[in-house]
This record gives sequence, structure tokens and C-alpha cells, in this order.
Amino acid sequence: MKEVVKIKEESIFPKKSKIEQFSSQMKRSIAIAKKNLRIYYNKGPVVIQGFLFPGIFFFAMTIGREILPIYIISGLMAMVLFLSATSIGPITFPWETRQKTLERLITCPISIKTIILGDVWASFLFGSIISIVPLILGLLIFSFWSSLNLVIIIVGILVSSFSFSCISIILSVPPSDTPASTMILTVIIKFPLIFISPLFMPIESVPSAMISPLTYFIDIINFGLSGNSAFGSFGILIDFGILLLFGFGFLFLSFKLHGKTLQKRFRG
Amino acid sequence: MNVIKVENLSKYFGEVHAVDEVNFSVNKGEIFGFLGPNGAGKTTTFRMMTGVLKPTNGQIKIFEKNVWKDPIPIKQIIGNVPEMANVYPDLTGMQNLTLIGELYGVPKKINKERAEKLLKQFELFEKRNFKTRKYSKGMKQRLLLCMALMNDPIILFLDEPIVGLDVQSAKIIKQLLKEYNQNGTTIFLTTHDMEVANELCDRIAIINKGKIVSLDTPENLKKLFQEFQEIDISFNQDINKEEFEKLSSIKKVQKVKDGFSVIVYEVNLAIIQITDFAKTNKLEIKRLNTHQPRLEEVFLKIIERGS
Repeated sequence: MKEVVKIKEESIFPKKSKIEQFSSQMKRSIAIAKKNLRIYYNKGPVVIQGFLFPGIFFFAMTIGREILPIYIISGLMAMVLFLSATSIGPITFPWETRQKTLERLITCPISIKTIILGDVWASFLFGSIISIVPLILGLLIFSFWSSLNLVIIIVGILVSSFSFSCISIILSVPPSDTPASTMILTVIIKFPLIFISPLFMPIESVPSAMISPLTYFIDIINFGLSGNSAFGSFGILIDFGILLLFGFGFLFLSFKLHGKTLQKRFRG
Repeated sequence: MNVIKVENLSKYFGEVHAVDEVNFSVNKGEIFGFLGPNGAGKTTTFRMMTGVLKPTNGQIKIFEKNVWKDPIPIKQIIGNVPEMANVYPDLTGMQNLTLIGELYGVPKKINKERAEKLLKQFELFEKRNFKTRKYSKGMKQRLLLCMALMNDPIILFLDEPIVGLDVQSAKIIKQLLKEYNQNGTTIFLTTHDMEVANELCDRIAIINKGKIVSLDTPENLKKLFQEFQEIDISFNQDINKEEFEKLSSIKKVQKVKDGFSVIVYEVNLAIIQITDFAKTNKLEIKRLNTHQPRLEEVFLKIIERGS
């Protein structure tokens, strides 16, 4: 009898190994990312933060100053990557809470971690793609071909985009259903990070730069363009290490904090 | 066989006991109605059962698995139409469905085929490539139901699926729910619409102020309230209403357009007494119809009694 019950249960709930479970949740997180990219790339906050702000900041920070071409490329790339990779993540949770689509999502066989990862992938792809534009423009205009290490730059973009995306997800932890209020928090945190970062200048000239994750991306780009790192011979490893630390640190923190605030989104 | 078992389920929001020690079970293959007035705790119970709101106390088991301890395998076999949910307005009907299919791990080829089949079944195929912000409420509700069916669920949870819908959408949904149920899908349905409950449900639980106040088949619930049995009668001439009301089987007489609406204690006895009354008073009975109590009356009575 027990065997019959067991067989029945297995036919209803087929057993899956941990690896199968992980892989199916990863696939589902990619489905969420696709959905996010389809829906959010043209939303107001994303357009403002992902496209307009980098342009405005670029002109505000560079016009009238004599800046070495290498710092123009790394500074612009860092700003574009940071602002675009952090533009989708903070708005998806409040937007979907308001639209009542989060409740539909949460009733699917996916965990909150899967939803967060989906948001990270969307931000990651958005940031990575957008930041290619200033790289291409910079290379065409300033011709860094001789010392160019494209592999380092591409890996740097991918790692940094992941790291910045993870940082952005934490901004949507407060269980708000108003994207505008999340945007205020976003601006309060993101803008100071930009201002303390060594954008369009040597890293050594900004003492507070070490606390900003942008610094390590700038150093990777500088290294990819010139072969020199501000942190010595192992500088590039330090850059990647710190960016990954930032990324995974914020990702796990997001898992924890979103898990805690999720229920508050369904009180209404 | 119980497929859903709810034990001592409670949900408190601060001082408010939205759901209080609720117990019931749903059998395999039945349509179980969860009825109650607005604010009774229907949707809160529904949201706890579908893994949205975490219960304060108690447990919900689906096929013996605790919904809150092992949610993913359970969510994999259920489909649901939450009242407080929406489709993605910036995606097309087709994109909404294939997204849900992907989230349930439906293989790519089957995903598209199933989405198309459901869109045809629910008469949405023509509008499949329209963004759903252009859909009417009825179309959105039908699409939500399609989304709930994308994983070919064993159990279907529906929260007020027909509320506020146009006649056509309501008809399509009710018809298809019956078909899915006939094919073996167990359905848990919350509603405050008696017609829907009466038409669709095998058993009904009535909840009020967070507590279950009654649980039975619609027929038995009606039997519980025989006093609501009603006779519609008219005579060939005017009668003395006071005399008529004195008959022992009659509870209340109300004059209607061309006759009387009579609430009786016991129908058969009332018919005998009314026939005798007519003979004695040399009256001719022009019309005599009996009415079963309507579920709505039963519901109101139960709620009144519970209060």
C-alpha cells in the first residue's frame, strides 16, 4: 500500500536532483529577464537614468576641461555602464507590485531568488549592451588599437555589469509600489557614488575612490586600453576580485532582504 | 481522496483576524466553492493556499505536501487565477502565455502549441498579438485563465473568476471550467456570486468574518432552510388574506401582482391546506408553483445567523 502511495506521489511530484532543480530555476530566471527587457527598457525611469543622465553628466564633467583620451573612454564607459546597469533593477519590484503582476509571478513555481536573478540578468544585459557604444565610439575616435586588450575589457564589462546590477537590486528592497519613491532612493545612493569615483581623471587623484565599485571598473578599462593599473602588477586581479565581492555580496544580501520584505508587498 | 487539506488556518493583520482557525478539505475531482461576503476572508485564504500570503498559524497541504514548506513542486501542479493579479499589459496575449509556460518549465514546442490551443479555446486567438493593455476586462480574465492552464494543472484555484464580466466571457469561462472539471481537474473557487456557486460547485463552504460557518452541498444547504420554501399562488377571486395566513403550514403571505407569494414551513402540507382552503371558500386555484429556496437566501440566512 505504502509503495502505491509512493508511486502516486512520485508521478505527481517527479523527483529532481539538486542540479536539475538549480538548472530549471536558472532557465526560469532567464525567462524573467527576457520579460523584463521587453517591458522595462523604454520605461521613463530607465530612459532617464540609462540614457539621459550619462549624457548630461558626461557633458557637465568634461566640457572645458583638458582630459586625457584614456580617461574620457574609461570615465564615459563607467558612467554609462553604472547608470544603465542600475536602471532596470530598482523599478521592477515596485512596478510589478503596483501592476499586480508580482502576485501572478510569485504563484509560479519559482523562488524569490529566481525572480531576483531574473532582474539581475535583465540589468546585466541592458548595461553590457549599452556600454559597448561608448567603447566603440572611443576606440574609433581615439584609436587605442596598439595597446588594446579587448578580452580584459569585455570580461571587465561583463563582471562589472553583473556587480552593478546586483547592487541595484538592493535598492528595491523597501516594499513600495511606487517606482518614483524607489527612484529617489536610487538617486540618493547612485549619484554620490558617481561623484566620489575617479571619472575622467587618474584614480590616484581621488582618495575616496576606493569605496566606489566604479573605481575598479575604471581601472580595468584603463588597463585594457593602456596596460597599466593604478593598483600595481596584481591590480587587475584586485579589480575583478573586488567587483565580484561587491556583486555576490549584494546579491546574497538582496536574497535575504527581499525575502523579508516580500510579504509586505501583498498586504493590500 | 483529499487533494487539499486546510488545518487550523489563521491569518492575522495586527489585531484583525482576517482568517481564524479555518478547517476544510477538497476532494479529488470536485469543484469546491468558497463563498462569503466582501471582507469575509475568502481572498486571504486563497492567497495563503496559493503561496502568496504566509499563514500566521495552521497549514495547507496539497497531496500531503505543505504548501509553505515545499512550495515549488506544489506550485508546479496547480494553476491559479488570483483576483488581485494582472496580466502584463506591455506584453501581447501570446507573450503573456509563453512567459508563464516558460516559468512552469513547459518545453518550447509544447509551450507555443498549448498557448495557441488555449487562445483558440477561450476565443482570444484573433487578438493574440495585441498588447493586453488593449484587452477588455473579460478578455484579460480569460487570458488569466489561459495562463492558469498553461501547465496543465491538476488543481485549479480561481479567485472570483467571473466577477464583473460580460455575459459572453462569463459563459465561456463557466463552460470551460465544467469541461476541465469533467476531465479530472479539481477546482477551488472563491465567489460571492450564488448563481455561479449553485451552477458549478459540488460543495460549498461559507465563510464569514474569517470563520467557516457552513460546509455542504448546495442541495443540502438549501434543505437546511426549508422555511424558505415558497409557493406562488393565485385564485380566481379576492381572498381574505388574514384567514389565509392562519393556515398552520403558512409562515408568511405577501401580496404580489396577481396573487400571493407564500413562505411555508412544509410544502406538501401547505398544498393540502391551501386546496382545502380553496374548497371551503369556493375558490378556484388559477396558479400554484412551488419554489426551492434560492442559495442566495440560504447564504444570507447563514451569514445572519453567524453574525
